[in-house]
Amino acid sequence: MDHPRPSWHPGVGHPSSLRNLLSPSGGAAPQRRTAYTASEAVQGVVGIVLVSESPRLARGLAHLAGQVAGPDVRIEPTGATGEQVAGAIARADAGAGVLVLADLDVAIHAARAVLDRRGDGAVRLADAPLVEGAVAAAVTAAIGQPLDDVARAAEEARDARKR
Amino acid sequence: MRLPDGVALHARPAGLFVRTAAGFRSRITVAAGEKRADAKSILGVLALGAAGGTTLQLMAEGDDAEAALAALSACVAAFVE
Repeated sequence: MDHPRPSWHPGVGHPSSLRNLLSPSGGAAPQRRTAYTASEAVQGVVGIVLVSESPRLARGLAHLAGQVAGPDVRIEPTGATGEQVAGAIARADAGAGVLVLADLDVAIHAARAVLDRRGDGAVRLADAPLVEGAVAAAVTAAIGQPLDDVARAAEEARDARKR
Repeated sequence: MRLPDGVALHARPAGLFVRTAAGFRSRITVAAGEKRADAKSILGVLALGAAGGTTLQLMAEGDDAEAALAALSACVAAFVE
């Protein structure tokens, strides 16, 4: 919980009921960070970026992860150019950090290059399998956990057994 | 409790179940047949592969265990095809 976390910017197109919780007045005026769970004062929801050389693959996975995690998480699929990845990160960022998952070589390199340029701890590349990691990360983000926990959930997906 | 017919514990229902479980402090285990999973682990719950009509067993340990079981039972009962 000691990673830098940018402040929460309400009302920037968050596609969900969460915005109403955070900004009952409708979300126009900037608002102080607001704890929205009783149990833990976590601000905002960690965003998820899915990078693949196949934009169709990334879109399909974003749909699946969105089905499981519900509407409160921004899940942004993207192709594997630096520009695309940077744009997806900007769209996914709701103020609580962004976890990036990538599938193969080119996607991983693109994501790494973008993250290296940013040089902050608020956007992280998960060392995780893409599909299982995305589902686990999205659900963990949906329950309001911080970036550390979302990243850990994705990385623990490596251990998910299939038989 | 029994999963409603036609509603497998996949994708959306599994996500609802896990997100409900995550709202409680108790340690919660869900079992379907021989398999069991941490109710707060989406990959664990998906791996149960519980089909519609499956009987689920829930076990909760902790100070909010009763509330957790009630909430999860209501969550499952509310699943619709």
